[in-house]
Amino acid sequence: MLLAAAALLIVGAVVFTLGVREKDLPAPVPVSPFQHLDDRKAQIYENLRDLQFEFRVGKLSDEDYQKTKLELQRELANVLAEIDAVKGEATPPPAAAVAEKTRKQKASNVCPHCGAGFERALKFCGECGKPMPGDAA
Amino acid sequence: MENLGALAILLALCLSAYAVAASITGRMRQKPLLVLSGQRAVYAIWFLLTIASGILVYSLIAGDFRLAYVAKHSNRAMPLVYKFASWWGGMEGSLLLWAWLLSGYSAILVFTNRNKFRDMMPYVTAILMAVQAFFLVLIAFPENPFQVLAVGRGITEVPDGNGLNPLLQYWTMAAHPPMLYLGYVGFTVPFAFAMGSLITRQPGDAWIHTTRRWTLITWMFQGTGILLGAGWAYSVLGWGGYWGWDPVENASLLPWITATAFLHSVMMQEKKGMMKVWNMVLISATFFLCIFGTFLTRSGIVGSVHAFAQSPIGKYFIAFLAIGIAATVYLILDRLEYLKSESQLESVVSRESSFLFNNLILLASCFAVLWGTIFPVISEAVTGEKISVDAPFYNRVNVPIGLFLLFLTGVGPLIAWRRSSLDSLKRSFAIPSLLGLGVIAVLLAAGVRHFYGLVSLGLCMFVTSTIVIEFWKGSRAIARKTGQNLVAAMVELTHRNTRRYGGYVVHMGMVLLFLGFTGAAFNKDATHDVKIGDKFQIGRYDLKIRNLLDGDNDNYAWRRAIVDVFAGGSQLGTLEPEQRLYKVSNQPISVVSIRRRLNEDLYLNFAGTTNDGRNMAIIQSFVFPLVSWIWVGFYVTLFGTFICLVPPKVKMQYMRTETVGYVQKHAPVIE
Amino acid sequence: MRLSLNKLLLLVLAAGLCLAQSSSQMLTPAVKRVGDRLACLCGACNNSVATCPMLGCHYSLPARERIAKMEAEGVSDDAIIADFVKREGLRALVAPPAEGFNLLSWVMPFVALALGLGVIVLYVRRFRKPAIPDAPVDNAALDRYHEEIEKDLAKLE
Repeated sequence: MLLAAAALLIVGAVVFTLGVREKDLPAPVPVSPFQHLDDRKAQIYENLRDLQFEFRVGKLSDEDYQKTKLELQRELANVLAEIDAVKGEATPPPAAAVAEKTRKQKASNVCPHCGAGFERALKFCGECGKPMPGDAA
Repeated sequence: MENLGALAILLALCLSAYAVAASITGRMRQKPLLVLSGQRAVYAIWFLLTIASGILVYSLIAGDFRLAYVAKHSNRAMPLVYKFASWWGGMEGSLLLWAWLLSGYSAILVFTNRNKFRDMMPYVTAILMAVQAFFLVLIAFPENPFQVLAVGRGITEVPDGNGLNPLLQYWTMAAHPPMLYLGYVGFTVPFAFAMGSLITRQPGDAWIHTTRRWTLITWMFQGTGILLGAGWAYSVLGWGGYWGWDPVENASLLPWITATAFLHSVMMQEKKGMMKVWNMVLISATFFLCIFGTFLTRSGIVGSVHAFAQSPIGKYFIAFLAIGIAATVYLILDRLEYLKSESQLESVVSRESSFLFNNLILLASCFAVLWGTIFPVISEAVTGEKISVDAPFYNRVNVPIGLFLLFLTGVGPLIAWRRSSLDSLKRSFAIPSLLGLGVIAVLLAAGVRHFYGLVSLGLCMFVTSTIVIEFWKGSRAIARKTGQNLVAAMVELTHRNTRRYGGYVVHMGMVLLFLGFTGAAFNKDATHDVKIGDKFQIGRYDLKIRNLLDGDNDNYAWRRAIVDVFAGGSQLGTLEPEQRLYKVSNQPISVVSIRRRLNEDLYLNFAGTTNDGRNMAIIQSFVFPLVSWIWVGFYVTLFGTFICLVPPKVKMQYMRTETVGYVQKHAPVIE
Repeated sequence: MRLSLNKLLLLVLAAGLCLAQSSSQMLTPAVKRVGDRLACLCGACNNSVATCPMLGCHYSLPARERIAKMEAEGVSDDAIIADFVKREGLRALVAPPAEGFNLLSWVMPFVALALGLGVIVLYVRRFRKPAIPDAPVDNAALDRYHEEIEKDLAKLE
């Protein structure tokens, strides 16, 4: 009885663990290459909303509010630009642009992980999503 | 039976080693089937440990006194709930509980993220399973809960066990260890995610978003565990103390403090992409302090009332800590570039710098506690002489630090992100400061001269008013805009930003906790030998001994005093402190009787019987002002944490970037 | 038989609990003053001789009696403490003495605080934004996306 239970336990555990088949693999879920940029964008909007509210309840002086708002909008614009850059990589650019691109392409615009090149320096590769060295400007 | 349990543990150990190997190899060689098999192993481990735990619990309840663990920690007469609680009453069982909880957490985690983070999950699984393997080694070899009592080669049996320590036979004690373990074990998860994200250099802060709620819930469990322990000490130990700066208590506090720091500084990373290295350090520190806390409790390296017996497992822990810390430090240093800050500090007067100070103060208090805990060991090693580091040391160092922290709780949230002009700060702080000073003035006039007491109560008022003003200003702004009444507007306000306003509620809970702590500055106590009919006084209470009874049942013999409580001529009620002598362990314990009120508790302890022939009862009486606010503060904190967990109400249709065309063309492949 | 067993148990109960001679715990203000500086070494608490609440404590009660006796003989506070240290070693003190190696116990928390403060100052210096305005590139980007941002902002609340 005890032996049978022990054997069942061992065999069960081994079969369950090792018996994985192709069809058990979960269907690949599309991962948006924009995920981290979207997160960033949402965060900045959230910050802006917060800022507006804090200004409304009188926690901020007008000057501080304007300054911070401008900064946040600038950051947002940068993120949007980055998203567009990634998108630009997705659809093949027209021939003229390609020429332009190769002319512009610097070493720092090439992803060291997958070799994809980009028009401008990016923080993260638009192909594989890994961080790029950038020119740290 | 016990063989089956031991087998399950061994099997789980093999599987956890396999899961580590399979996950890492599968990820590096890009074999998704191997990764999947590693995940299956995680589920299997949970199942096996559930069986092992079930067998242990069954043996405890059924009273299988062939098992050393059962004989040591259970007995026939104990109520069922404490037989169950014996699961974590001793070293072996509590390590099994730890391993079982970790396996449960891991299974949940692997299941909910089975389709996500294909890049990082194998590493997360591997780290979780490496920790799992460590604990399984402990319970498979040096601390096996299924050890049988044996003489020579024959298994023996004892007629009855020793029973759970009677001091632990109290309801909060049944809940305190599992809560604490849920906390201790839970911090493994954000740590594993942080490391996984570091190893694979994930873009963005996915690990933070994924583990945000997890960390918060774990933090809450840990806090609940600590508070349950305090509540137990208060109502069981017979002298009204709720915190004794015992090494094991300290050990549970340390990761809670670093986790608190983490919960704050992580906002800097989410909002501005700053402090990435620091957050990695904090979450790692929290995890390793959890392990260190377990090490302190189990190894008996520092003397403590709750340490388990001396055991050889200390060196296992030291090896694990050394390897783990070295690996973590290497990873962080190796990937500093990846953890580079994305933005800068705009102004010194800003929310950002208030977070810096918050972290500094929290870490300083954490260090002070840690230092006090391990200093006796260090000092003995260096000077060769034993020294004591007792409550007065911790109080002297930590009270000022704690008060400064309380001050920051009030100041921080009022400073705007990025920059704040001193003018607007002056406006925000005028009313709270006046109210705080007002409280101090009134107390001084009332004759209170205790310095820290005054400062603390003044600060409590200061922080409370900043929080109330925050809610009021916000609700008023919403009420004006939407035309709702103030209460509805407040609900709306909280719902819009649950984390912030839930956070304020948590802060309020902390203020109430401090209020309760401050009461200790005004405690009164007196001890009297009494017989039936005697009267005595404490504070504003007149106490009269109506009767002294004794009796006996299966589990213990008892003696009880019936005490009538009067104040100002009218009777307030009756208190019945009792003393028990447990038969099996021959250990006397007190069952105190407390009249709990928000302003003060009246606390009676039947401490013993005089042996001078008069056979009088010794009654210790205490008055503890404000102590109930500690428990109120805890419930407020709990409520605030729940608010933080509610998803905020935001409408952001613009959040997602359209990916339709992109994804089809770049169909995702498993690397 | 049952009854006598009960009696026996109660006797044991009484014997176990009655270590305290009486409630007079010898805690005069003078004893408290000295006792606050001495650790209770009963092994079950983290309190001082003056605050150990345990009735029948085998350490703090005799210690209080000794303090009272020495005080009655006119021994000074410091001399009483020195006497305890001579008998029990430094662990008789409630906290490490602020001298020699043990001074570290008091100093280190504040050294850590100061170090942390230093790190914060360095951090602020390092990450403080320079006062010069941002590069014009950023503004160009802002101009490009200005409309989109404004549109989204309008949707904010």
